[in-house]
Amino acid sequence: MLIVDVLTGGVRGGTAIMFAALGETLAERAGVVNLGTEGCMLVGALGGYAVAAETGNPWLGLLAGALAGALLGLVHAVAVVWRRADQFATGLTLMFLGLGLTSLFGAAYVGKAAPGFDPVPLPVLGDIPVIGEILFRHDPVTYLTFVAAPLLWFALNRTKAGLLVRTAGERADVLHVHGYSPGLIRTVAVTAGAALAGLGGAQLSTAYAHAWFEGMTAGRGFIAVALVIFAAWRPLWVVAGSYLFGAALAVAPALQARGQSLNQFALDALPFVITLVILAVLGRRTLRAAPEELRRVFAR
Amino acid sequence: MTATLARPAERAPAHRTGTALRTAGRWAGALAGAVAIFCVLLLAKGADPVTALGDMVASTFTGASLQQIVVKATPLILAAMAVVLPARAGLTNVGGEGQVVIGAVAGAGVGLVVQGPAALPLMLLAGAAGGALWAGVAAALRLAVGVNEAVTTLLLNYIALDVMLYLIYEPWKDRHGSGQPATRPLEVAARLPLLSGTAIHMGIVIALVAAVAVWLVLRATSFGFKVSVVGGNPEAARRAGLPVARLILVAMLLGGALAGLAGVVHLAGVEFKLRPGLTTNVGYVAFLAAWLARHKPLPTVGAAFLLAAVTVAGDSLQLDSGLPAATVNVLMGLVLLAVLGWSRRAHR
Repeated sequence: MLIVDVLTGGVRGGTAIMFAALGETLAERAGVVNLGTEGCMLVGALGGYAVAAETGNPWLGLLAGALAGALLGLVHAVAVVWRRADQFATGLTLMFLGLGLTSLFGAAYVGKAAPGFDPVPLPVLGDIPVIGEILFRHDPVTYLTFVAAPLLWFALNRTKAGLLVRTAGERADVLHVHGYSPGLIRTVAVTAGAALAGLGGAQLSTAYAHAWFEGMTAGRGFIAVALVIFAAWRPLWVVAGSYLFGAALAVAPALQARGQSLNQFALDALPFVITLVILAVLGRRTLRAAPEELRRVFAR
Repeated sequence: MTATLARPAERAPAHRTGTALRTAGRWAGALAGAVAIFCVLLLAKGADPVTALGDMVASTFTGASLQQIVVKATPLILAAMAVVLPARAGLTNVGGEGQVVIGAVAGAGVGLVVQGPAALPLMLLAGAAGGALWAGVAAALRLAVGVNEAVTTLLLNYIALDVMLYLIYEPWKDRHGSGQPATRPLEVAARLPLLSGTAIHMGIVIALVAAVAVWLVLRATSFGFKVSVVGGNPEAARRAGLPVARLILVAMLLGGALAGLAGVVHLAGVEFKLRPGLTTNVGYVAFLAAWLARHKPLPTVGAAFLLAAVTVAGDSLQLDSGLPAATVNVLMGLVLLAVLGWSRRAHR
């Protein structure tokens, strides 16, 4: 069934975006925008693929992808938080760094085989008609996102660390008063968020595409940033948004498999158009939901 | 009314020499750090950094390369002005790439239809209009529903690219072309003439005139002054009775028009036909050039030339050292990071 194929593809293709968007949610809740998410995903994709190829263990690859993303994110955090560099310009610079670094070190891995993640249908759950096919016959990394989003929600809303992150994003002065360093909290949040973006990148190369090629993230990092806004900085809405994008990406192949060819480029543009439309429709409502410190960045 | 609004204060005149020296020292240190890190990365890749950088510099200063730098700087200057102007109004236009693409698309569309001497001027107009339209979408969303333009312009970049690819692969495809799909080449009359005896096309004149015009408008007109006030403190501007929304819209439209011009100038001066990969990140590089110069129009021209030189150097890096051309993005990223974060004291 077309709709099942599209939704299944949506979950498959939305996973990388979801990791990145969850990471961006974390950073932005602490008051920092990381437009470099695209770059973090790229280094994560290459780092993950390269380590999987060299060690033969895709799980190590996943770890390496997260680490690579975190390192690039740390650069962003240091420049933006401690050196007061402009958040947008620094983020874009990170994208260039990511493009260049992965081009420099990735050439050897183009067309090279590496062990990756294959679909592992879950027992019982995978046998449920329709829902099982859509949700429970994926690669293990995709299952990780099923817990990652609720986990982030819990961490942000129900733990002390989450409270500190949210306070850094809403009223940084309060942290000062209580002897915490907002800068340190933001640094940790941005770095951890970038690690999630790197994880998303690694999922893209080791589980989704089973390949590394230059610029393979193709704007997913930017989609993730936009998605955080229309999810109004809430992790659980990020899940819905990510699957929406994944589904938009999955429409073209699903139609092609049925011998109908809609214009490929129209479909490629679809996720971006959908985001724009949703942002326009939600409009000021999203801005009101923005963390206070972030509003200074967005609506100067 | 405007008498009550002071220009943003220049840096205090006291200790100017000391400050200048320290600033110069900081810049030198930051840039040296960037180059050093780049060398370490090259070493890690097994390339000899001294030879690679030496070759890069040497081949950048040959006559042909210098002309290439001017050619590459042309769309960069125009697209960077598309960042400068909105930035003065407090807007972040990251959509140069998309506006450049749409400019090239609009220009190519006119070039396919119109023949003869009218073609080129009409193409330039269409390109500017296309770019303005694309930027206008982001400006409208910002003004009507308050969506941040940095995000929308980024999204519009990807949509613009898909629009162009659609046209290249479907309705505008040159049926007689071979290899990579592209549109029919522009007829000779629709191409920008070359400066005599060089490979440099007239676009550079357009770009420099545009840059000086932006500088003059910002410096010497009441529009430029009002835009700066809006960018400096929108609330104060509103209280002073300035039409903030209209100023923001106009700054963005003019910026988009300049980026669109960049696209059509690149098309009519270098490419002659739409093809995938037409713009090679011009819009993003231009955004960073503008930041490098802290949004001052004339220094931005210098920054555009600098980044054009880095791009050309990247090509020689590929030819001489066998490293991927995109490697130069690393050097560019490091230099930009150094300038953004480490070229001045962080104010805390």
